[in-house]
Amino acid sequence: MIDAHVHVFAKVSEEFPREVNVNTPPEREATAEQLLETMEASGVEKAILTQIGGVEMVQHAYLLRCLKEYPDRFRGIGLVADPQHPEDQMDRLTGDGGIVGFRLFKIGGERDPLAPIDVRTFETYPIWKYAAEKDYVIWLYPPAAENHCVPYLMEAFPDLTVVYNHMAFCPGEGSFTHDEKGRPHIESPIPPVTRYNTLGQYLFPNVCVKLSGQYAFSKEPYPYPDLAAWHQTLLKNFKADRLMWATDSPWILEDPGYDNLTKVIDTQLPEISEVERTSIMGGTAEARLFSRG
Amino acid sequence: MAGPTAEERAFWEENGYLRFDLAIAGEDLVRLKNAFDRAASACKEDWLEGIATGTKPAAHFDIPNPLERDDVFIDLIDYPVWFPYLQDFADDEVILLGPQVRTLPAQPISYVGWHPDVPHTTPLHMKVQIYIEDVQANGGAFGFVPGSHKPDAGPCPKPRPLEAMPNYKVFPGKAGDAILFNSYGWHTSMVNETGVPRKSIILIYEKWSEGKVSSDRYASISDRLTTPERRRLFSLEPMRG
Repeated sequence: MIDAHVHVFAKVSEEFPREVNVNTPPEREATAEQLLETMEASGVEKAILTQIGGVEMVQHAYLLRCLKEYPDRFRGIGLVADPQHPEDQMDRLTGDGGIVGFRLFKIGGERDPLAPIDVRTFETYPIWKYAAEKDYVIWLYPPAAENHCVPYLMEAFPDLTVVYNHMAFCPGEGSFTHDEKGRPHIESPIPPVTRYNTLGQYLFPNVCVKLSGQYAFSKEPYPYPDLAAWHQTLLKNFKADRLMWATDSPWILEDPGYDNLTKVIDTQLPEISEVERTSIMGGTAEARLFSRG
Repeated sequence: MAGPTAEERAFWEENGYLRFDLAIAGEDLVRLKNAFDRAASACKEDWLEGIATGTKPAAHFDIPNPLERDDVFIDLIDYPVWFPYLQDFADDEVILLGPQVRTLPAQPISYVGWHPDVPHTTPLHMKVQIYIEDVQANGGAFGFVPGSHKPDAGPCPKPRPLEAMPNYKVFPGKAGDAILFNSYGWHTSMVNETGVPRKSIILIYEKWSEGKVSSDRYASISDRLTTPERRRLFSLEPMRG
């Protein structure tokens, strides 16, 4: 199995500087070694480490250390500090081969869907363009206000690999809070209203969706039955070879627990074949992410 | 008001649609376009805010409560070009389920795949799609599979892409053209490659059945629904005495 979206971070130090917030206070750590131990207990072999703690090069220090230390177990997703001039940072971060893509939380595009749309005017266009040139992955978690911009970018860069985060939910403004356990919580309709601009992207063969973050969007406890129909819809549209299971560790270690999440796909998609399950639980990530770098 | 000819009825039964070229023209069309644009302008900020908060879709802009905004929208519901056909096909017992006054952004993908609206267990369900501006074949035009409304058509295939659907027909049209279709049939909105948003109005009707529409659904406009025929059409009064 491959866990396609986790976070690791060290305590704040001179060696590993990072931003802090309510989930990541200075003394908190979620180390690669702790993660590996948890993964191994549940039979998970590999993971995608997603940068947390800042966009600057220096704030990637712990992520880069983990990728260097465990090249057979991890690949990484970085962040970009300057969307207008991203090339140098993207190349430096991918230089050692561990980082294979970059996460975007916004597009910087036209917010009025009825206005003329020119992707070259989007704030993050240079990132998309350079990712397409260098075959880097775009790790996408766009706001609801901008999801309609994505198909235009895919039309411009049809070969680019794009992985929608967290079941392709696109958070609305004001929807992000923390639950009573301190975990991220996003208030959103289920299924997301943004689906009308997402599901048709099956036409682009490298648009993938990560099946993760159920805890943050569901209105019910594990195993999150209110999300089952949405999982089915994603499977029907994108097929298993474009879906990737992930846990979003460490936010889920207490509730519902890492091992429970290794079984969440079995409850969300009980009818899938063994071949489909193998793809979702790691085959897709192996083919599309671990084959890089 | 004239209903279908024998030839039109046979075409409807065989194909599941009828097309009315320039169904609305002249002053009626001008009045309709003006009302559409006025209502869209008044509602657009709310729509954009809804998109940003993740509560309204960016893929289509529907004007809320259009019947309350302008009588021109009420007059469409029993417009004499198509309404006699609806009445005829529904055995004089047609009711309004609702209107969609809709602008579709131009997008590289369609917001919806091929689908029927209802199963055959639902009473006869019909829609009238009216183009407000000219719509090219590659401008988000209505697509329909003739004959797919029949009970023996089987489940709707899900071809990828939309153009892979066998035997489908695309309906480019002029402003004021209208297409009446049986919503058991498989239909979609084709991809809009023109860069120009598509403006249309979709009227949704069904053959009456007990309790389908509550009598207060259109109570807010009851003062404008004064004839017995209209009051039955809008479910303000019982269909059967």
